[in-house]
Amino acid sequence: MKNKSVENKYLPEVPRKEIDELKNTVKTASQKIIADNIARMKKADSHRPEAMKYFDDIADLFGQRQEEIQAEKEKGKKVIGYLCLFAPTELIMAADAIPVRVNSGWYDTSKLGDRIVPVEVCPVIRSTIGAKMIELSPFLEKSDALISVLTCDGMTKLSEILGDAKTIWGMNIPRIKDSTQSLRFWSDEIKHMKDQIEKFTGNKITRKSLKEAIEVSHRATKAFRRLQELRKGPPVIMGRDAMLVNQAYVWDDKVRWTEKTEALCDELDKRVANKDWVCPPDTPRVMVTGTPMFWPDNWKLPTLVEEASPKGIIVADEQCSGERILNDPIGVDEWSMDDMLKAISERYLMASTCPCFTSEDGNEDRINWLLNKVKEWNIQGVIYYVVRGCMLYAMEYTRVKKALDKINVPVYYLDTEYTREDVGQMKTRVEAFLEMLTARVDF
Amino acid sequence: MITCGMDLGTQRVKAVILKDGKVVGRAQGFSGFDPTKAAEKAVSDALKEANLTMSDVKHFSATGSAVDMAPYANSTVSMMGADAKAGVFLVPAARTIIDVGAEEARALKCDEKGIMVDFVVNERCAAGAGAFIEAMSRALEVKLEEMGPLSLKAERASPINASCVIFGESDVVSLIHRQESKPEIARAVFDAMADRVSSMIHRLGVNPEVVLVGGVSKDVGFVASLNRKLGLSVVIPEYPDYVGALGAALTAASRAAKEAQ
Repeated sequence: MKNKSVENKYLPEVPRKEIDELKNTVKTASQKIIADNIARMKKADSHRPEAMKYFDDIADLFGQRQEEIQAEKEKGKKVIGYLCLFAPTELIMAADAIPVRVNSGWYDTSKLGDRIVPVEVCPVIRSTIGAKMIELSPFLEKSDALISVLTCDGMTKLSEILGDAKTIWGMNIPRIKDSTQSLRFWSDEIKHMKDQIEKFTGNKITRKSLKEAIEVSHRATKAFRRLQELRKGPPVIMGRDAMLVNQAYVWDDKVRWTEKTEALCDELDKRVANKDWVCPPDTPRVMVTGTPMFWPDNWKLPTLVEEASPKGIIVADEQCSGERILNDPIGVDEWSMDDMLKAISERYLMASTCPCFTSEDGNEDRINWLLNKVKEWNIQGVIYYVVRGCMLYAMEYTRVKKALDKINVPVYYLDTEYTREDVGQMKTRVEAFLEMLTARVDF
Repeated sequence: MITCGMDLGTQRVKAVILKDGKVVGRAQGFSGFDPTKAAEKAVSDALKEANLTMSDVKHFSATGSAVDMAPYANSTVSMMGADAKAGVFLVPAARTIIDVGAEEARALKCDEKGIMVDFVVNERCAAGAGAFIEAMSRALEVKLEEMGPLSLKAERASPINASCVIFGESDVVSLIHRQESKPEIARAVFDAMADRVSSMIHRLGVNPEVVLVGGVSKDVGFVASLNRKLGLSVVIPEYPDYVGALGAALTAASRAAKEAQ
């Protein structure tokens, strides 16, 4: 815990009464939004898989899961929060601590962040600051320490700001990916993080405990890939349902998540066998790429796509709030400590398609991911989702568009904010885009 | 076959009656507080002009920002889809269509069949659209319709930034304080808008013919600035403010034909 006698560098002193009032207001509103999102997802599929029930419950950020984490904490476990996907969660698990991602998906708290940073700053950052100011996020509040990976400018300064309230461990990520010195540098960061986690938790990370943690990740990746595989054919699951399952991984218990996802896939296998499609097979197949869309408020785009007229279905994404969480397994050759740490370093650095990277060929890995998805998942259109202030994604659009133009796949740049007020305008655009995809066959 | 297209825009509601590929009636009115009622009135006026009645209409199709409030609609079409359809109908060589309305500016690329293949919309701000001219005309204390002719009298250009209507207004105020003449300020307003719109078009690629439609295409000041910016002469069809409604009427016709099959 931070020593409170040190003066805050950024965060203002907010009176307790104001914190409580604001927290209650935003929490009540958020619970309504969560319930509304789930209700609409239920409505979208007349015989939604039974297994989704579990994920609906786990989606309540103020519900069961945070109570479980609290109970574990009371038994002496440490909670280690993280902001970017580069945080090596296997090391956290191997030290018998709980990893949980803490980026804020609450629109309302971004307005509070405006008190500290200008509105031009990415709303994911502003909203996370606001959530901290009013102690809204159960996962952030319960975190004993935070891993902040210095990816974009927003994340870099956010780690300083959150440092007023939490123990922060910054991780330096190299910006040039394809060089041996970058990998060496990053491997050192990973090793250092291992020492830090061990010291903080008082638990030694052993060969055995790390192997077990990596195997937990492997099984989760396998379940996730099975789910993604099921999205390749005619649709058997709504995009929103799959996206919620995917994202819940970052706060759920990893072993239980894997079991429930496998159970979901068992049900979906039956749907495939019965040709029981969730929407007509000629529904335009959409992929989303760009800024992460954090639950619960950032569900407006997937909701619009899947409730639009004409309707679309999201079958894939390229987002760090989505498929990138679990897409790539950790490739271990021998299960020695050194080899496992090396494999973790490689997995977190090399597999990432985050636009914070560049290389000799620019962020070629992202382009390849997108082109591969388009081909394998039979994507008819791509929505490039960017929130205002998300510079790296905004700037990489031109390159992505060029690559997609070349294979004649339409892409639409949709910019938005952490606000509910622009849903009408977004609807106009999303519907025009889906109409365009349909027009290629219809009209 | 007789069909009707309705365009429920942010400021005005327009209706077009189409008979066997020919426009036989058109009418418009202010959207006001009840766009549904305004659309009913526009449809009945357009039918009157065409000497037809409601029961003659085979299919109604609606578009526009208030499309969900459209009366009678058998189907809907997006604003961009409608623009593409009508743009190519009116100007067969059209491959880029720019629509500048009261609150929104958009540009789209289409193929020879009038099917849209790409589009962009101004970024959540009315600075590239008609409302900007309206706000600036208030700041200059001239009538909206005088802005265009006034700007043509300008001898030089004074750049302002149109990143947003509000900031644009404060830029205009600083030009006033610098005692720039009204024609020059009016020209600055149109240049700033044309800047925004032309950068949208450049994102799509400039593919001639470039057709300009929507209410703002009637403004000579904007058209002059846009032509200067793009280095070409945009084509403006007759009745450019009815293009959305015409696109809806054409969509209605092809859908009705499809249903009949």
